[in-house]
Amino acid sequence: MTDVVQDQSVIVDRSDEVERIAKKEAWRRRLPILPALLFTIIVTQIPFALSVFYSLTDWNIVSGVDREFIGFGNYGELFGSSLFRQAAWTTVVMTTASVLLSVFFGTLIAILLDRKFFGQGFVRTLLITPFLITPVVAGQTWSTSMLNPQFGVVNWLLERLGKDDPIQFAGQFPTWTIVAVLVWQWTPFMMLIILAGLQGQDPSVLEAARVDGANSRSIFFQITLPQLRPFLELGTLLGSIYLIQVFDHVEVITGGGPGSTNLPYFVFQRSIGGGWEFGQASAFSIVVVIATIIFATLGLRLLSSLLEE
Amino acid sequence: MATVTYDSASRIYPGTEKPAVNELKLDIGDGELLVLVGPSGSGKSTALRMLAGLEFVDKGSILIDDRDVTLTPPQDRDIAMVFQNYALYPNMTVAGNMGFALKQQGVSKEERAKRVMEAAKILDLEEYLDRKPKNLSGGQRQRVAMGRAIVRSPQVFLMDEPLSNLDAKLRVSTRTQLVDLQARLGVTTVYVTHDQVEAMTMGHRVAVLDHGVLQQVDTPRRLYSAPANLFVAGFIGSPAMNLIEADRSGDELHFGSSVVALPADVQADLKASSATRFVIGIRPEHLSNAGGGLNSNVTVVEELGSDAFVHATIQHGGGDVTIVVRIDGETTVSRGDNMPISIDGPVHIFEADSGKRLGTPPE
Amino acid sequence: MASSTTGPVVGENKVSGFIFGVIAWIVGLMFFFPIFWLVLNSFKTEEAANGDPVLFFTPTLEQYREVTASSTGLLSFGEAFFNSAWVVVVSTIIVMVLAIPAAYSLAIRPVEKWRDVLFFFISTKFLPIAAAILPLWILARDLGLLNTRLVLIILYTALNLPLAVWMLRSFFAEVPRELIEASQMDGASLMSQIRSVILPIVSPGIAATALLSFIFAWNEFFLAVQLNPVDGSTVPIWVTTAVTTRGLFLAKLSAASTLATLPVVLAGWAAQKRMIRGLALGAIK
Ligand SMILES: Nc1ncnc2c1ncn2[C@@H]1O[C@H](COP(=O)(O)OP(=O)(O)O)[C@@H](O)[C@H]1O
Ligand SMILES: [Mg+2]
Repeated sequence: MTDVVQDQSVIVDRSDEVERIAKKEAWRRRLPILPALLFTIIVTQIPFALSVFYSLTDWNIVSGVDREFIGFGNYGELFGSSLFRQAAWTTVVMTTASVLLSVFFGTLIAILLDRKFFGQGFVRTLLITPFLITPVVAGQTWSTSMLNPQFGVVNWLLERLGKDDPIQFAGQFPTWTIVAVLVWQWTPFMMLIILAGLQGQDPSVLEAARVDGANSRSIFFQITLPQLRPFLELGTLLGSIYLIQVFDHVEVITGGGPGSTNLPYFVFQRSIGGGWEFGQASAFSIVVVIATIIFATLGLRLLSSLLEE
Repeated sequence: MATVTYDSASRIYPGTEKPAVNELKLDIGDGELLVLVGPSGSGKSTALRMLAGLEFVDKGSILIDDRDVTLTPPQDRDIAMVFQNYALYPNMTVAGNMGFALKQQGVSKEERAKRVMEAAKILDLEEYLDRKPKNLSGGQRQRVAMGRAIVRSPQVFLMDEPLSNLDAKLRVSTRTQLVDLQARLGVTTVYVTHDQVEAMTMGHRVAVLDHGVLQQVDTPRRLYSAPANLFVAGFIGSPAMNLIEADRSGDELHFGSSVVALPADVQADLKASSATRFVIGIRPEHLSNAGGGLNSNVTVVEELGSDAFVHATIQHGGGDVTIVVRIDGETTVSRGDNMPISIDGPVHIFEADSGKRLGTPPE
Repeated sequence: MASSTTGPVVGENKVSGFIFGVIAWIVGLMFFFPIFWLVLNSFKTEEAANGDPVLFFTPTLEQYREVTASSTGLLSFGEAFFNSAWVVVVSTIIVMVLAIPAAYSLAIRPVEKWRDVLFFFISTKFLPIAAAILPLWILARDLGLLNTRLVLIILYTALNLPLAVWMLRSFFAEVPRELIEASQMDGASLMSQIRSVILPIVSPGIAATALLSFIFAWNEFFLAVQLNPVDGSTVPIWVTTAVTTRGLFLAKLSAASTLATLPVVLAGWAAQKRMIRGLALGAIK
């Protein structure tokens, strides 16, 4: 052991120096995030703060009366409003139904597409197209070409099948008509995420299961599905983020008609959509935000489980 | 060409208490091939990356040619590194990969092409220069990674388990080529592996690490014949040294029923030691089946042709202990046989708790 | 992530494999049918479009000619297309300029607490736009931004930034750490490391992310109609206002709809695989 450096009684302690360099470096690494972060904070948080302020005032922009601070008055009114409760309920139904149905159908279709067959890539391309369609166009196409009582294809088909009087889809089932279009648009998205999950499966695990004599069904429920969990969660999360905010479809399919007004549409109607009750509408929107944040926290918890390494 | 010095260098990862590398003191000579070996997590990679400049040094210093580089960024250390997974740039050709460092130095295109070609000749890569890494076999990728290092003629080569992604056969042949190449180029090299066979066959000297602490640094032969402590004794050698625990009875140690004959210096240390429990270390080739006082019961025989390793149990300290004995390949022994054995060579004695070696190691 | 399909189960019989293939085709065609029908109608005369559904007819470009002809006073297709292109392209560029450095920081030698930062970005997506429209409208009005392209550019950037950061982070995280270290050892400066090592690896991801931002921005209707309904209106507004719903309009509406969605459908087809990989992979890694 002759070459080991001997008698170095004083060892240089660099911990302060290292800490300083590390700090400096940490700032240098943080720098590139700042523009995006500042932009996001300014554009998203300032309007929110303003909303909070407006919600505490009585302010009708048309009446010409000055803005007046009224504390939580608007909130009190809010919970007494049956229209608000109706809109909240519609939101819950619309979001839950469209997310769950698109995840369900998306999973089934992803499983179909995960096998080799002739024209696989082409069929996948056909399938994702609805997701790409501009929402207002999707809404219009369905409410005219497809479901219109006079010239819609669906009613024409039903007529051939012996049903005499056409169904007024948007009139009779407004919420579910919107859900149908949402599911049509979002199933492809779910399908693609789940397809990514299916194709990322470790083939050797599947092979091992087959060698162990598991049949296709138990392989699916015991191996594939648990492996797909994060993908299903991700689909649900992203789907919820976008679907809770649906506005365009409501606007072009029913225009908020009987019972299909969801919260975003309701807030819109109350303010710049014609109500001009800015104070009240702000209170509505704050409640919407709080409700969403409750859902979102649950969602984020999911997300953090996804990001665990 | 350069010398490298670790001067009591420590690395403590943020958020951890124990140093990953603890006051490492190591002098590496000019042109030397030094192997850092140790079990997984012992701090080998960390020690290497400290020299590379990829990790901070929290205490102590690192010197290249007596120049303190502790705070020099990796770009300015003139060190080349071969990574375990090769880390080839996927978007560049083999030539592009090998010439990248030269390009960063501003070497002219012609000069670059010339030097890449030279390195490619040495490594048998001429016909692959225009390929992308993904179209190469594992062995070829490994050579490109080597090529990327040698093109630069840096002061120091660092290699972190560069052979562990190759299959067993290729690993052995590449090992030989690598040793030959290093000798030809004469570049100071620090080579990390967890495989003690690789360490012993390649290193001019081998440094053994455990839990971030340097255990011993020595030539492979000395490491084998004179392990500085219990850890090194158990780590180096395949099959491993027989390590048998024994309580002291007075100033004597028993192996099975017989008293172990100890040299004078060991005797003296044993007398001076306050420990009660010791470990007797005997290499398999230093146990003989040519008759002797100890009965053993054969459980497994590993035939290697020239010789064989016999696993057998002996009565020791009130229970059964398994030992390994190397015997001549001509002798036939089989399971269930009763095989008398005796000690026929040096024994190593260690304190069981501290792992300290008794006696001065033989020169 | 293996790109190959898992394939049929060993020993599964050919017939059932064939049947599954047929089912997949049927499902695919059903999902596509409304779009097929839309495109078909756009080539019909109004009479044919409103009559009983037929597959075979003499195609005409009449409707396209009509909807793209600029009519005085109304927003023309050309203007709307130009406005959309301007707003969407500029906002997508800003999104990328902001998101790429952020993603770099979050993925490559990540800063501490990078998860919290990512969470913050994603959490802004939970704020319902409809709930923020009021202050946005007032701010835009007070700043004189109502009915300008600028207001949409700013908001579309904010809208797409979180998703872009999220996706790009996952693409950047795919760059092996050793590769960056290798380039450091090779003496590469930060710029040359980014240019020669990182960008070539992440550029497909950058393209996919940009395309997704493009799609979401192009399709946006709510903010456009609230904040910018007069000058500088975008294609989704045009499509809801261009065709009068008096008399026969189905064929014209179909032509307008087809024109409006064509750019995003093409972009989406081009980016389909990578887009989802970016979304899915980032979450799982
Ligand atoms: N970036 C890091 N942060 C915290 N601890 C680390 C880090 N890298 C390595 N370690 C720890 O340091 C010790 C030594 O690691 P390493 O040098 O990689 O060991 P080896 O290469 O010998 O297997 C291990 O216990 C490991 O868990
Ligand atoms: Mg290691």
